[in-house]
Amino acid sequence: MRELIPGVNVTDINDIDSKSRREFVKKALSGSALMLLVYAPGAAALHGRGTGWKQMSTEHRYAYVIDIHACIGWGGCIRACKQENHVPDNMFRTWLERYVITEDGEVYVDSPDGGLKGFPPLNDEIQSKTSISFFVPKMCNHCEHPPCVQVCPVGATFKSPEGFVLIDHAHCIGCAYCVQACPYGARFYNTEIGKSDKCSWCYHRVQDGKSPVCVEACPTGARKFGDLLDPDSDVAKILAGRQWAVLKPEVFTSPTCFYISLPHEVV
Amino acid sequence: MELPNHSPVNFIFPNDHEITWSLLIVIYPYITGLIAGAFVVSALYKVFKIKEFKCIEDFALVAAFCFGLFAALPLLAHLGQPQRALNIFFTPHASSAMSIFGYVYGSYMILLIIELWLVYRPYFILKVNATEGLEQRLWWLLTLGVTIYNPDSAKLDNKLEVFLAGIGIPWACALHGYVGFIFGSVKARAWWATPLQPLIFLLSAIVSGMAILLIMYTFIKWRQGARYDFVMIKKYATILWAVFILDFVLEILEVIFAAYEKGHHWSLIGPLLKGPLFETYVIGQLLILSTIPFFLLGYAALVDVKEKSLLYLANIGSFLLTLQVLLMRYNVVIGGQMVAKSERGFVKFHWDFFSGEGVLVCVAIFVMPFITYYVISQFIPIFEEEEDEITKPVERQARRFRRSLRENR
Amino acid sequence: MANPTPYSHLYRLGLVLITGLVLFMMIMIAQTPASWNYEVWYRGDALVEMKSIPIVYGGNESCVECHADEDEEMAEYAHKLLNCEGCHGPLTLHVQDGEKTADAVGKSDWQCLNCHQAQISNPLDYPQFPGDISKHENIKKNTLCVKCHAPHDPALSEEDEDEAMFEF
Repeated sequence: MRELIPGVNVTDINDIDSKSRREFVKKALSGSALMLLVYAPGAAALHGRGTGWKQMSTEHRYAYVIDIHACIGWGGCIRACKQENHVPDNMFRTWLERYVITEDGEVYVDSPDGGLKGFPPLNDEIQSKTSISFFVPKMCNHCEHPPCVQVCPVGATFKSPEGFVLIDHAHCIGCAYCVQACPYGARFYNTEIGKSDKCSWCYHRVQDGKSPVCVEACPTGARKFGDLLDPDSDVAKILAGRQWAVLKPEVFTSPTCFYISLPHEVV
Repeated sequence: MELPNHSPVNFIFPNDHEITWSLLIVIYPYITGLIAGAFVVSALYKVFKIKEFKCIEDFALVAAFCFGLFAALPLLAHLGQPQRALNIFFTPHASSAMSIFGYVYGSYMILLIIELWLVYRPYFILKVNATEGLEQRLWWLLTLGVTIYNPDSAKLDNKLEVFLAGIGIPWACALHGYVGFIFGSVKARAWWATPLQPLIFLLSAIVSGMAILLIMYTFIKWRQGARYDFVMIKKYATILWAVFILDFVLEILEVIFAAYEKGHHWSLIGPLLKGPLFETYVIGQLLILSTIPFFLLGYAALVDVKEKSLLYLANIGSFLLTLQVLLMRYNVVIGGQMVAKSERGFVKFHWDFFSGEGVLVCVAIFVMPFITYYVISQFIPIFEEEEDEITKPVERQARRFRRSLRENR
Repeated sequence: MANPTPYSHLYRLGLVLITGLVLFMMIMIAQTPASWNYEVWYRGDALVEMKSIPIVYGGNESCVECHADEDEEMAEYAHKLLNCEGCHGPLTLHVQDGEKTADAVGKSDWQCLNCHQAQISNPLDYPQFPGDISKHENIKKNTLCVKCHAPHDPALSEEDEDEAMFEF
């Protein structure tokens, strides 16, 4: 499934033989050895240190799929997440947004209290000029190249072997650099504990054989979670269909939260 | 107010409503900048042999040290878990600009302390031999137990001082360039993410450091009733003016480039500069605090002005420049976070006075280096010309001693 | 002291620096968590600790342990896909250590409307209701949704509908 994950670039389709790829890797590595001597941190940054899971053996590679069409914006996922993960008020590990695109192409977006209590119906004025409207669940994208992990000065946040981007609250110094670095606003500074906080894909539940609580709570199947290494899993099948998109692809973070039927207006 | 991407409503991600890095992070790069600036002044004499600055080289070094002591304090005060701050040194994440900053800052402070120690070692030795009891033990500690001054070591120390100043310049530049890198490398923040950021931070650091030194110098001389070294001030104003021109060119280049490019960057920065940052950036930083000092210092540098007028021109120009750089730090740090990550709105900044990250704490941290300078100046002689006013014979002796060393160079 | 050589102060400085460095390295080694993973750069024990965070929502499989009958019935109902705790509240507020501690919640109009109030943003084929009872087909009297629509099995057959009409 690895090649389904974005970020593999080849200049020519014929280049995809393993030999030339190996050579490329060799060249890149010898170059980086030189750089390491000259400027270790820079080289480490360039070669994505901090996402060393690739070298580790793992039985699972998890991914998350969000189907925009299926979401009804009821907010049960947000409420469940708040309770499961003890998230303080006005902070969100996951939240819902409502997009309204009018006939003139104006984009109205709102997210009252993160969608915690669902959404009040739109007023008549906006409804009358609406061309399309939909809900967008948002959360940590558990990126393959997480900028938040890259900037953490102490290694308190990391990419786990199975694809989780996690925070070690016993080691976090609370500088909030990772909050700045996240392009998706998925991280927040938890003022109650004085540390950065974010979605963990319910690591504790998944290790216990359960789904993340938001997936569990979703009545319409808009949120799906599964193992990419298992070809029979929902997410593996959906990704094989190749009709997915990710948020802010221009920042090259390679999210492993994939969206189905994501309109281009969504940021 | 125009919002990014023509959004009809100010939409902000629910986690993005607070500006996480507040005023403390504004004064952190400011104080760090003052170190770099002050160090460069001392190096201008030692390394680049600008002889007019001889009278302020030690002063600049001591000032750099005082700022250095408190550069990391705002960061510490801002941390959610300050008791774990040393984790930055214990488990430094090599890919993080902030963690490397810890090492750059730490090693730079060591370099600065060694340089200071070499400069003041003869004085410490004099003090050991002239005091007794506990005071003597303390001075003895500062000499590391070498209480006899070997004249041969003077030449050696001198060479070492120049060498340290020499590597200190790139080190000081790295220190502040790195602060710029901490901001410039965050791709999630459009207003920060430019490769020019380290350079802009570095040059503005030198500007603010030089400017604040001149104000300190004038203040100290005024309080002492001593004479001002107008030849030095003239040269100083000229160099400050030149560095500021470079700094300003880079600052404005970044914006003009983005505006002309009209890319994704500008879709966010354009409305930011026209909207929430209009007063502090366009009017404050560009129109008032850059234009006026440019003309004041330019006049001081190019026209043959009289002593008193030179003093006023240089000092008012310097004062405005310290404000310019402070405002620039505000505009970068706070302004960068005003652009909501939703790319459809602006986050509001709330001025806070009495909280843990409020104005009061910032002012308290900012005055600490000056208090420290005052305390240090009570124990060691900083200006050579103070000789006339010094009554204690030991200190007069120390002066002569150091001066004779200098002349032997 | 004896007359120092030109280098003696530098030797001492060097000694101070080396002592400082050694001390720093020792503290650094002592302070680095034992389970530190140098390859990925994180504290290995963090994963173990995170794994043991207690679960709040048990999932439907935990509800079935006591409510097997309801579960069997649900298999045919329109709400069969729902998460029990979505309406009834999380497991840990209802059961602790195998003992019931509080009644599960449920059955308010808010809960029904939370999903079924008409939203222009919802999928077109999704069952939606205008929210205002006066707009309900055939029903004008203000009443609870659950009076007619059983929360587990909300769909009404034609007979049910006639009966409901008769009641109001």
